[in-house]
Amino acid sequence: MSQSQKPPARRNSLWWDALRHLRRQPLAMVSLGVILFYVGLALLCSAGVIFTDYALVDHNRPYQEPSWENWLGTDIFGRDVLARAAHGSITSLSVGFVGTGLALVIGTLLGALAGYFGGRTDDLVVWFYTTVDTIPYILLVVSLAFIMGPSLQTLYLAIGLTFWVSHCRIVRAEFLKHRERDYVQGALAVGASHWRRIFIHILPNIFHLILINFSLVFVTAVKSEVILSFLGLGVEPGVPSWGMMINDARLELPRGVWWGLAAATGFMFFLILAFNLFNDALREALDPKRSRV
Amino acid sequence: MSSDSLIEIKNLSVEFQTDDGQVKAVKNISFSIPRGKTMGLVGESGSGKSVSSLAIMRLIPNPPGKITSGEILFDGQDLLKLSEPQMRKIRGNRISMIFQEPMTSLNPVFTIGDQICETLMLHRGMDKKAALAKVVELLDQVGIPNPAQRVNSYPHEMSGGQRQRVMIAMAIACEPDLLIADEPTTALDVTIQKQILELLAKLQKEYNMSVLFITHDLGVIADIADQVVVMYRGDIVEQGRTLDIFQQPQHPYTKGLLACRPSLDKNPLRLPTVSDFMTEEGKEKNFDVESIKQVKASRPVQEEKNPVLLEVFELEKHFPTKKGIFGNVQEWLKAVDNVSFKVRKGRTLGLVGESGCGKTTLGRSLLRLIEPTAGQVLYNGTDVTSLDRKAMRQMRRKMQIIFQDPYASLNPRMTVGSAIMEPMIIHGIGESKDERMEKAGELMDKVGLSRIMLNRYPHEFSGGQRQRICIARALAVSPEFIVCDESVSALDVSIQAQILNLLLDLQEELDLTYIFISHDLAVVKFISDEVAVMYGGKILEMNDALGIYENPQHDYTKKLLSAIPKGL
Amino acid sequence: MFKYVVRRLLYTIPILFGVTLLTFLLFHIAGGDPAAQAAGKHASAEEIALLKAQLGLDRPLHQQYFFYLQQIATFDFGRSWATKQNISSMFKAGLGPTLSLTLPAFFLAVLITISLALILAHLRGSWVDRLSLVLCLAMMSISFLVYILAGQYFLAYQFSLFPISGWDPDPILRWTYLALPILIAVVVSIGPDTLFFRTVFLDEISQDYVRTARAKGLAEGRILFKHVLRNALIPIITIVVIRMPFLVMGSLLLEAFFGIPGLGGIMFQAIQNSDFPVIKAMTFIGALLYMFFQLFSDILYAAVDPKIQLR
Repeated sequence: MSQSQKPPARRNSLWWDALRHLRRQPLAMVSLGVILFYVGLALLCSAGVIFTDYALVDHNRPYQEPSWENWLGTDIFGRDVLARAAHGSITSLSVGFVGTGLALVIGTLLGALAGYFGGRTDDLVVWFYTTVDTIPYILLVVSLAFIMGPSLQTLYLAIGLTFWVSHCRIVRAEFLKHRERDYVQGALAVGASHWRRIFIHILPNIFHLILINFSLVFVTAVKSEVILSFLGLGVEPGVPSWGMMINDARLELPRGVWWGLAAATGFMFFLILAFNLFNDALREALDPKRSRV
Repeated sequence: MSSDSLIEIKNLSVEFQTDDGQVKAVKNISFSIPRGKTMGLVGESGSGKSVSSLAIMRLIPNPPGKITSGEILFDGQDLLKLSEPQMRKIRGNRISMIFQEPMTSLNPVFTIGDQICETLMLHRGMDKKAALAKVVELLDQVGIPNPAQRVNSYPHEMSGGQRQRVMIAMAIACEPDLLIADEPTTALDVTIQKQILELLAKLQKEYNMSVLFITHDLGVIADIADQVVVMYRGDIVEQGRTLDIFQQPQHPYTKGLLACRPSLDKNPLRLPTVSDFMTEEGKEKNFDVESIKQVKASRPVQEEKNPVLLEVFELEKHFPTKKGIFGNVQEWLKAVDNVSFKVRKGRTLGLVGESGCGKTTLGRSLLRLIEPTAGQVLYNGTDVTSLDRKAMRQMRRKMQIIFQDPYASLNPRMTVGSAIMEPMIIHGIGESKDERMEKAGELMDKVGLSRIMLNRYPHEFSGGQRQRICIARALAVSPEFIVCDESVSALDVSIQAQILNLLLDLQEELDLTYIFISHDLAVVKFISDEVAVMYGGKILEMNDALGIYENPQHDYTKKLLSAIPKGL
Repeated sequence: MFKYVVRRLLYTIPILFGVTLLTFLLFHIAGGDPAAQAAGKHASAEEIALLKAQLGLDRPLHQQYFFYLQQIATFDFGRSWATKQNISSMFKAGLGPTLSLTLPAFFLAVLITISLALILAHLRGSWVDRLSLVLCLAMMSISFLVYILAGQYFLAYQFSLFPISGWDPDPILRWTYLALPILIAVVVSIGPDTLFFRTVFLDEISQDYVRTARAKGLAEGRILFKHVLRNALIPIITIVVIRMPFLVMGSLLLEAFFGIPGLGGIMFQAIQNSDFPVIKAMTFIGALLYMFFQLFSDILYAAVDPKIQLR
């Protein structure tokens, strides 16, 4: 045995196992397809490839009903509703991804430290997140938005700095549980450092929860954008967003203009439903209790 | 059907739907249970014994499970043809069942009185008052002290043994014809196990019930059963009178199973394993039975070859159990209480005791996986408890541990190769990845696994294989001293024998020193040179292995020894 | 039991401190220059400085914090910048309308979703269950705002089943105005709550004690309604009680749309007007309520979970 045998790479990790399970679920695959479609749509819109006329104002054609020219009609400024709804996906997806990403990074880090080290660190983190959690989230967001003024960045921060709490709680509980598990104790017994135990051992074992939480928080973030827009704390005026379109419907509906609301609601509905359905399948595929040999 | 059979199972098959397709859990089995007798159903994990018993109750979760064929004739009536409401009239009334986990099998939010009453009110149409009176009677019968008060207790207020008694009271409440006991003593300590077995035997006579007793433990079967059915991978390989099965086993699997069990009265050099008797395909092998009769000579201490390696001095570990209003600790549990002992190089100290006696805490404190409260652990003269982090890390190269549950002690997201190489990376063993890979391969060879398996993940291995991997990982740093913390307790007996043999081989080859922690006295006797008996955080008695068993000094040790099922 | 409650109470002290500190700092930064706002747009520099001194804003930060603590301790939050009303009396006036909206909505929603979840748990794995699951997820995929807009437009405006918005101080007459917002609140909660309760029930059904109950010969329905429901109460209480602050804080959106003069409506106005004293007071009261209900749920546990009485 002089030559070191390099066995061929095999796709046999628990991740591949979950993926194989997922691929057998048609609903999950369709949902994933829909999510990817939205991502593609947002990328193409922001690259200026499709729906380039989203900001084209035509004062002669306000509130046109859906037609062959404007499939989903026009808004008060004569802008194409379909194009604006399509561009709204940029706002929603970026709020979703950035805000959620921020929340998960904060939550995971604090939760990991608290759960792993316990003691004073834990007391401090628990105190901190209980405090943040105790303040009604909408008011927390409001005060953050007041500090920064309405903008996309505000939305990112407002969502990132408030939505980390529930995630942090879960990560902390998992670390508390896992640090006592034999595989972590075994790592300690061979001399693994704290860093190694946290990031090489425990984190990969709870990563599926982070993934599941991602889609949960993502959905909440996208929905929050609508509410924050209603409170006047959303994106700057002029930036296309579903929240803004839904809010405009307050004035449009009494005039019989339903297409703005329908477009924004429809776009949002399929994105969130896809995330919800995918999350449901993901949860099952990643469930450690799912029977394995 | 013969009139002396209460229940007759004919050609029963059960399948489970899994991700990898249909799995046959029970393959076309037939057996019958005579009236008023105890039938033992014995088999290792995955043999289909529990599934068979759940099939009788028609409690197999569907999906994923399904009874695909067969008849279960109970008093001549096919249970599989009954409607669900008809079947419910039989469950808990004419056939009742007790389970392995007394801790979780009772509903935590109702009193035990309520839960037993429920059965009586359902099947006997009693009113609450009459039922309660009967419950008190039943609790008394199963040996619960102060039954009149205890009816109002919640399950969490009782010990594991008491809860199992409550389960039994519930099961016999309607004086069933058949009691199915699915591993009822597996989760209990030996002394409690003995009491429960005696209780079951007593009740069986009083009520003239048939009992189907399911277990993996042949010793228990010999004590309680009149007849035995041996199951292996969904098949019945052998059935007959208990005495016949134990004295003249016919099937190679049964022979292997009987032979591989360490026992108190034998003292073999090595344990035979099932694979000595039987090929993978189930064909009989020629095995020289004489070779297992070799008796292990006790190894006398040689000063120059066996110097003292580890010396534990007044070790203490306390846990807070009760806290005051301000989080101040009011009560401590002394999990390890003033423990001192010595271990010599190249020898094995067995540490035996029942659950909660502090043996695991002690083992972990030695390696500082748990920080001891007080005392010293001298390893080659160095006090381990006072080492700083860096020195402690160096020390970990010499001291290793193998845990109980091979499913929990490997990181499921790490390949076996990475797991074995990790200690080498931490301690800078090996120059390159290839070199470490090569060494990991050698370790795999050493523990009897193929090096091609290095890039697999733990979930692709069986329990025994995983325990071998854990051993390889512990050996990766070339330690001198290993704590085996219940390292074979979670394994089937046939696998347990293999791992014990492996540990002995490695000790001889690498001059290892072991502390072997276990609740199983027979296993400890087989592997240890010296044995210490622990109870309540203290070491009660310590002697060489033969001495402890042949001449126990402490009352507790005697009680422990007498509680072990004798087998035949 | 007593000790458990006392320990729980003591635990709220550091949280209370954290909440006051965080709200103080947030609004200190967020508030920009409260004096400038309170004095109006055309105030001169001297006027602003005078007002600052009056409000104590020229003092060092820690003194301002103590002043804030004093305000809290006396429940005297000063006056609204926008309406110049006393904030405490504004809250008192808003409490009634809010509760008459949220209490019925809350209890109806809990009752309906728990029943639905029990039915689904009973039918688990069937096509009804699977379809309901997707339906619930679909209901969750629509914004709260859309439910309000659509409900108001179709049910009130188009079909005139309800008044579009408005309020009557009379405790009986107000129900005509409350019916639609209550309906919407219940519909919105059906998706997420049914799913949550269903998961709780399914978790319980897989426990060992359920197998024991089956082995006794109990029927599925009895197992579900007696054994499972009683155990599931423990996680259910958590989620239900934690939502209770919403009872008092009101649903901001519903009150804003339907013109209900409750706390939610007050808050909505305050946010629109950047009315800092009101928002600040509201934030603190919201936090206080949350803490109170948290405590309440922990004590409720003791009633439901026999294990807790031992601690």
